[in-house]
Amino acid sequence: MRRGWGLALAFVGAVVVGHVGTVIAAPRVIMQIAMHRLSDNGQLINAFRFSPRVDAHARWVVRPSPDLAYASCVYDLAHGPIAVRALPGADHGYLSLSVFAANTDNIAVLDTQAQPQGISFALALPGQAVPAGLPVVRATSTRGIILDRRLAPDAAAFAAADAARRADRCAPL
Amino acid sequence: MAKRVYAVVIAMGLLAGSGSALAWMRQGMAPVGQGWLGSRVTGSVDADAWTRARVALSGLLALNRSQAIYFVRKVDEAGRPLTERCRYRVSGGALPGRWWSVTAYAADNFLPVNDEGALSVDATRVQRDAGGRWQAIAAAQRPPGASWISTRKAGNFDLTLRIYNPTPAAQADFGTIPFPQIQRIDCVPGAGA
Repeated sequence: MRRGWGLALAFVGAVVVGHVGTVIAAPRVIMQIAMHRLSDNGQLINAFRFSPRVDAHARWVVRPSPDLAYASCVYDLAHGPIAVRALPGADHGYLSLSVFAANTDNIAVLDTQAQPQGISFALALPGQAVPAGLPVVRATSTRGIILDRRLAPDAAAFAAADAARRADRCAPL
Repeated sequence: MAKRVYAVVIAMGLLAGSGSALAWMRQGMAPVGQGWLGSRVTGSVDADAWTRARVALSGLLALNRSQAIYFVRKVDEAGRPLTERCRYRVSGGALPGRWWSVTAYAADNFLPVNDEGALSVDATRVQRDAGGRWQAIAAAQRPPGASWISTRKAGNFDLTLRIYNPTPAAQADFGTIPFPQIQRIDCVPGAGA
């Protein structure tokens, strides 16, 4: 009888641990997989990667929008801050840069509605020094993803957005 | 022997707990009204562990609501699941943001695998009437003379509404958003109720 209760308690305890552990671990694991893919298996760090136009076969991240042009930069601040920049296209359509921490939190997002001349900032961990005068986003994790989104609902708009995003910068300061 | 039994029971419990977490994470967002699902903390640093886990699985790299708000619709106006075997009229008016789109996604959270090039409609492409109302057809076959969201090879799908640069009122209260309506037009024979 006592053994039966012991087994039941062990099972329930393991269910709780398994459930909570999965919930806590899943975002970081999924983000690690995304960072691995978006950095070409770890080869492209602190540099923008320009995704082709989203179509039905896009599988690099769930629920991509076919109306947006994406560029991504997997950052690593272990060796110091990085400089991030994106300039608007000729049509001054929607453009944003968003910073995601390793736990998936969207820790910052800047767009050309607020900064119509372009977006520029330093991404640094707390305590890392950055040049005076440069806006700073303080990261909450050493690694993560920066995403450039530009409105590009048709082929012509995508071509224009693609040309504009080639001037993006994501590089060590 | 007793240790082995306990080890097996604990392993089964861990598997059951992990499986229940994954099943729960797949359920996605909470109702926000008019048949649409959403979350106020998607992408936010205020998201709790459970919300963060759900978003990681079904909306990784989603923006926080100061920049974009996301809503999902899985049923028509009568509460029936959306399926590629039926045609739907998606209609609405002005939405509270700088830009919006409505996109079809299959049950695996990816775009339906078809090459129609018509996976969404957005604010820059829909035709509006004098009153500012617009409509599109979500269907497996291209409708003549109408904006089209292709659902071919989508199976049971959902429609995702994105509103970028949402107004402060929309960010503060999703109940103020005049969400698009999804009316079933007809179905192929045998598609069910």
